[in-house]
Order: sequence, then C-alpha cells, then structure tokens
Amino acid sequence: QGHEFRFGPCQVEGVALPRLWEAFQTMKDTVQAQDNITSVRLLRREVLQNVSGAESCHLTHDLLKFYLNTVFKNYHSKIAELKMLPSLSSLANNFLFIVSKLQPSNHESLSVSDSAHRRFLLFKRAFKQLEIEAALTKAFGEVDILLTWMGKFYR
Amino acid sequence: DGVAALPAPQNLSVHSINMKHLLIWSPVVLPEEKVYYSVEYQGEYESLYTSDIWIPSKWCSRTEGPECDVTDDITATVPYSLRVRAILGSQTSAWSILEQPFNRNSTILTPPGMEISKDGFHLVIELEDLGPQFQFLVAYWRREPDTKEHAKVVRRGGIPVHLETMEPGALYCVKAQALVKAIGRNSAFSQTKCVEVQGEALPL
Repeated sequence: QGHEFRFGPCQVEGVALPRLWEAFQTMKDTVQAQDNITSVRLLRREVLQNVSGAESCHLTHDLLKFYLNTVFKNYHSKIAELKMLPSLSSLANNFLFIVSKLQPSNHESLSVSDSAHRRFLLFKRAFKQLEIEAALTKAFGEVDILLTWMGKFYR
Repeated sequence: DGVAALPAPQNLSVHSINMKHLLIWSPVVLPEEKVYYSVEYQGEYESLYTSDIWIPSKWCSRTEGPECDVTDDITATVPYSLRVRAILGSQTSAWSILEQPFNRNSTILTPPGMEISKDGFHLVIELEDLGPQFQFLVAYWRREPDTKEHAKVVRRGGIPVHLETMEPGALYCVKAQALVKAIGRNSAFSQTKCVEVQGEALPL
C-alpha cells in the first residue's frame, strides 16, 4: 500500500499508482487497438533508460505536463466518444496533482536539467514527426510505458 | 409554452467523513410529482483544460436524491466542482453548482473504532474497517511506572492483529489513530482501552 513517489529530490505523497493503472487499463485495449504504426515508439529506450534520480524529477515534470497540455487535452473528445471520461479524469487529475507537487530545483547542475530536457526533446520530436491524430493515439497508448517507468520511483 | 420552469435544487454542500463524500441538497418539492436528480462532476483538470466537459456521477446520473455518494467520482486530491439539476418527466431544471469546489483533503477523520481482546496471554486488537485508503497507528504500553510506549502500523482494519504477549497480573493499555496517505493526514487518537491478565505477577 505504497503512496509515495521519490523522483530523486522530489517527493510526491498522496497518489496510489495502482489506481492510475486501474484507470488506464479500462482504456488501454481500445486505444492501443487504434494505433496502426507499430514500428514507432515515442517513449523509447533513449528517453527512459538509465535516468538518474536527479534527472527523473525534471523528466517526469516535462512528460506529465506534455500529457496534460497536449495528449489528454486533444484526445479528450475521442475518449468521450468511447464513454471512458471517468477513467481519463482520474488519470489526468492525478497527473495534475503530481505535477503540482514536483518542484524540479534549479540548484542542481545545469547538466542534470539539460540531460533530462534532451531526453524529453527526443520524445517530443518523435511525436511531432507523426501526423497529429496518429501521434495522439500512440502517445496515449504508451501511458503504460510511462506508468511502468514511474513505478521504479514508487515506494 | 406556459410550463412553469422546474426549480433548480438549492443549498448544495458536501459532507465528507473518513473519505466518504456525500453531496446533499434541498429537495425540489412539487405536489404529487416525483422529482429525480442528475449529478455531474469536474476535476481540476477538466475545469482547466476542458471546461465545457462535465462527467456524469457514477451512481447518480438519475437518482431520487436529495443526496449522492460521490466518493467513487473523487479519485484525486485536487479540487472538484459538482453540479445537480432536477428532472421531472421530460423537463430538466437549470444546473446548480456547488459554491466552493470540494477537495478530499478536507474530509473529517474520526478516531477509529477498536476492540481489544485477550487470546490467552496475547493482546489482540481489531480496528474498524474504514476502507483501502486507511492505515492505523496503534500505541500500546504496560501500565507501570516509567513504562515505554510501543507503536505499530496496522495496514488494514477488520482483521485481528497481535500486539504483545502479556505477563500475568499486568495491565496493558492501547490507543489508535487512522492514517490516510492519499491526503497526508491522520485522525486524533481514540480513547485508551486497557485489559488485565489474571494471575500472579511473575517474581522479578
């Protein structure tokens, strides 16, 4: 019954990761079935592998903000059509809570935030290279990759 | 068309105790008419990013009211807006919106109910089952001068938990408080309860 994320120096209490998985599971199969581009992965190895604790706070902040501002916002009507708004609402409001608690400090060396930002740009560039609908569908479908990675920082 | 507008429900408020959130309102009373109600919600995300979108409450998309358990709708520790309207046949009233958004971190946490029992020389506690979001901090001690207080975190209510093996002739006391990590808060401690094991105290 953990309830706490430790992204390096950033600690977030009050979000139960199993609840996020529950919310995404109800949408997962339907959304992933609509992703026809199986040769591309946005959250690929270079984005998420060997992320240091210090970097993880910056990277999580950037990724979750992107999901809130771009992916969830623009995929919302599709989810509404699929009648899965309660699940998206649960996921999005918990992401919003996490982002509000993450304060990536500027005290760390520039290289930490730069390295995290480079990883995020790899993801964002891959997203931009796809047609918008395809990109939204793929990014939404990759929330399981995101939650799996976040799980490494969950206590 | 001459049909009097259906009045909207008034006096919306949320009563939240131990992470159970009940939206209540004043009923719309019409002689010999059966009025139903519909409840919808918006989390902070919706109000920021998709403000025209409201989500039907899981249990009250059409309810006899005048209350609605919105616990399953409130799934994050962020402010939620709630609204209700009346339904009479094909007529619907205007929406009434909760004046202040509700955040579950404002829930009232009561000291947990607990039962203390002796199983032979074993001191056993069973705490009230308040649901999966609750853990408990149990403090227990042997009542004697300079006693040392012990503490134990109990992950779930509703099951007996062994605390201590007692010595005959001694008095043992227990108190407990509820912990809710989802909102980072805890209740006050319960009243202290004590039990004594019969028999002669062991020679020192």
